[in-house]
Amino acid sequence: MDKAKLTPYRLISTLLLVAVSLTFIFPFYWIITGAFKTRDAIMAKIPEFFPSVWSMENFDKLFINPAWQWFANAVIVSFASMILVCLTASMAGYVLAKKRFAGRALLFSMFVAAMALPKQVVLVPLVNLVSSMNMHDTLWAAILPSVGWPFGIFLMKQFAEGIPGSLMEASRIDGANEWQTFVQIVVPMLKPAFGALAIFTFINTWNDYFLQLVMLVKRSNLTISLGVATLQGEYSTDYGLIMAGAALGAVPIVAIFVAFQNAFTQGIALGAVKG
Amino acid sequence: MSTNIFAREHKIQAQQTRVSYYFLLPALLFFVVFVALPMGMGVYTSFFKYTMSEFKFIGIDNYLNLFKDEIFVRSVKNTLIIVVGSVPIVTIFSLWLATIIYNMNSFSRSFFRAVYYLPVVTGSVAVVVVWKWIFDRYYGILNFVLQGLGIINKNVAWLGQVDTAIWCILTILLTTSVGQPIVLYVASLGNIDRSLTEAAEVDGATSFQVFWRIKWPTIMPTTLYVVVITTINSFQCFALIQLLTNGGPAFSTSTVMFYLYHNAFKLFEYGYANAMGVVLAILIGVFSALQFKVMGNKIDY
Amino acid sequence: MKKLLALVLTMIMVLSMASFAVAEGTTTVTWWVFPTFGQPDGAAPGTYERTIADAFEAKFPNIKVEIETIDFQNGPDKLISAIEGGTAPDVLFDAPGRIIEYGKNGKLVSLDDLFTDEFKADVASEDLLGACSDGTTYWMYPISSSPFFMSLNKDKFESSGAIEFVNLEGDRTWSTEDFLKALDKLNEAGELGGSVYCGGQGGDQGTRAFVANLYGARIANEAKDSYTIGSDEGVKALGLIKELVDAGKLEAGTDIVAGDEIKLYVQGILPYSICWGTSAAANNPTDFEKISVPFPSDDSVPELEYLVNGFCVFNNNDDARANAAKELIKFICDDEEFGPKNVLATGAFPVRTSFGNLYEGNPEYELLSAFTKYYGPYYNTMDGFANMRFEWWNMLQSILVGTKDIPTAVADYTTNSNAAFAK
Repeated sequence: MDKAKLTPYRLISTLLLVAVSLTFIFPFYWIITGAFKTRDAIMAKIPEFFPSVWSMENFDKLFINPAWQWFANAVIVSFASMILVCLTASMAGYVLAKKRFAGRALLFSMFVAAMALPKQVVLVPLVNLVSSMNMHDTLWAAILPSVGWPFGIFLMKQFAEGIPGSLMEASRIDGANEWQTFVQIVVPMLKPAFGALAIFTFINTWNDYFLQLVMLVKRSNLTISLGVATLQGEYSTDYGLIMAGAALGAVPIVAIFVAFQNAFTQGIALGAVKG
Repeated sequence: MSTNIFAREHKIQAQQTRVSYYFLLPALLFFVVFVALPMGMGVYTSFFKYTMSEFKFIGIDNYLNLFKDEIFVRSVKNTLIIVVGSVPIVTIFSLWLATIIYNMNSFSRSFFRAVYYLPVVTGSVAVVVVWKWIFDRYYGILNFVLQGLGIINKNVAWLGQVDTAIWCILTILLTTSVGQPIVLYVASLGNIDRSLTEAAEVDGATSFQVFWRIKWPTIMPTTLYVVVITTINSFQCFALIQLLTNGGPAFSTSTVMFYLYHNAFKLFEYGYANAMGVVLAILIGVFSALQFKVMGNKIDY
Repeated sequence: MKKLLALVLTMIMVLSMASFAVAEGTTTVTWWVFPTFGQPDGAAPGTYERTIADAFEAKFPNIKVEIETIDFQNGPDKLISAIEGGTAPDVLFDAPGRIIEYGKNGKLVSLDDLFTDEFKADVASEDLLGACSDGTTYWMYPISSSPFFMSLNKDKFESSGAIEFVNLEGDRTWSTEDFLKALDKLNEAGELGGSVYCGGQGGDQGTRAFVANLYGARIANEAKDSYTIGSDEGVKALGLIKELVDAGKLEAGTDIVAGDEIKLYVQGILPYSICWGTSAAANNPTDFEKISVPFPSDDSVPELEYLVNGFCVFNNNDDARANAAKELIKFICDDEEFGPKNVLATGAFPVRTSFGNLYEGNPEYELLSAFTKYYGPYYNTMDGFANMRFEWWNMLQSILVGTKDIPTAVADYTTNSNAAFAK
């Protein structure tokens, strides 16, 4: 690409880059190999960098627990949050960008102010509230509160501002009502934004631990993150088993990420450049 | 005639407002129910002695007690160390890595970008448990390797010592925090006007000048975004601490978020925990506002 | 708009289904269990409990039992979030520490009606009955009880020569002096010392018993209105521990919790466990032979902590469920077949004397039975117990990592723990 000058600076920094990369790859490598190590290998005085015996014993132990259920729950929670966020945020972001109405400025600044607010701050009230709605310890309790977080609205608004007003005007002249205009004109224009927000929300929810920790209690209701944390509590230094759980949670997402890396990174970058 | 126009405009305005609120309704509903309402309840109950069995108005006592609570003060300090420590490191480190990665061919670029993003997609809990294993005093690979290299001569309790535990936390936080910024920086370096940098180089500008005068202003919005996001994430760092050190040893890794959870779920001091939440929200608000003030005035939105 | 509508409708449906699923004639009770029952042949947690529940459901066809297994590390937090979230279980199998705290806070149903004269006469121990009540109301229905003690890895003690200082006769009581000599032997042989674990709260009775016994200190006073490790004996014991840690003869367990300590012992890393008990033994088979001993003390007369296993019923504002829950715990504890069987599954001694000696001819249990005469005063139902536990492991941490000197750490612990009595 660039002029390939091999300056000492570039040489050293590339070497450093590779060295630092190892710190980022190693944990993932250690999860995968650890998951297949035997109990003896895990506890050996001299660790095996590469398993000498590939064993399924950790997975056998893992699936005594409802691990698939945990995985499915995590997928459900992440997908549901993703869909709800995209839906609510696109509608709100669109009008905030394109309509002039009473209270707009106030609402928008309120959303922006709340963006930095971590969910944890409202921990106890949130649990009480969810409880009063009879939702505690259901997957909804881990989904709905995360939809309230207004980052998506902000993102969608930034995107929607780029939609030419003339398009919507034309649609209206053709006799489309507001909803039709939104679905037929605005939504297609917001496609990249949907991509960005969907990825962002999915990963955020997948990585969320705190909200799920206080909202989900029953073993069959846990997500894979919570499940792995629970295994850690129950089996403490039985690292092979814990890595098996971690691998179950991590591998599918990493695989999706590797397969769609460009879409991913574009989405993330778009989201931020606009946001 | 003119009144007619006003009336019509007024009507359009009213109709626009109504339509807008229909569209806003779902988002507002979620926002009010799951953000605004709990926040209100949190602020309200922070003025109460609120435990499992008690609910008694005590004015600002919870807040006064906070500042007398040495663990809370310690936790605030740790939180600030984590934020102040991680934000510049994450920003500078990711910018530096991004510049190297950006100059590579497209295969290596994708490869390294993926590598640095890997901890993000691995999932926070998975990352924490594997690092716990790596740092483990008895089974950890770190102790094995360092002993093999002769750097240490007996197993070190990395997570059990005041002077190492916080560094372990920061290391892991760093690996999970730079993925997104690197992606952003690589993208935003692509937006730099090539002709400008080349012109400057022709004029004999040093690479430092080129960076500072031409590249920096272009990537400034990204930097602001990175700084704000990293700040918020660092303030929220919880899983890391709960699963790795439980705030210890001797509160050397306790953060406000952790201590809040601790008060609510171990000591049943809900009102007190809510007061902490309010203070934390204010703290984050002040930080974000400062960042916007310092860096934001150069940027158009 | 259709999509949105569909979504909202589904949501409403799901929510309402959740609330009227119970409308039929059967009552469902949820039963949460810590890993106290041993599982047959290393089966998954909850397996044994399920067999009890199946037998119970056969006897009471209109009651259904749902079992949730929790662990000592995350379980306590889950209980709190369930209590605050309105999804508390009906029955919890635990010990007085938490149960009495919940009872005092009005979260439980009084079990006074289960404490009949017949039952009280059968238990025949004021201490055991006292452990189930906050002084006015019975909150916990007990099933079994057993001491906490130490377990030594026989191989490691023999190969290092430390076994020489272990008393294998009689009640196996030993002195602090002998314990120190044994530590020296282990150390010379290149073995680690035991761990003074304090990474979290669970299993803290082990470290408390260890510290208190070294020089005959007490965790609480006779009147049970003050926490007293700040005595000269207590401070001296903590000083000794700090010295041993600095000398590399004990491990500073600031990064591990009780569950880790047990695992590390079972996996052959640590030479002994100070968090051992019948449940730990039932749930953690080892490859090596173990020696159970009481905690070492300066006068060779230990004061042991003990566990009382029992059940409580949460107040979920539903009499039918509360009554069904009481039936369940009566069945678990008192059923002719399952009562004794369940006691055996906890690996502990029955609280009912009428069950007789369930461990006839088992030398290990003859020993444990001998340990019961060393039981110290039971302080787990004192006010501020939850607070004291929190202060305890934090005190150990600050001493072991040296952020506070011992007198300061102990003074802080004492002040904060006793604050509960000032209220």
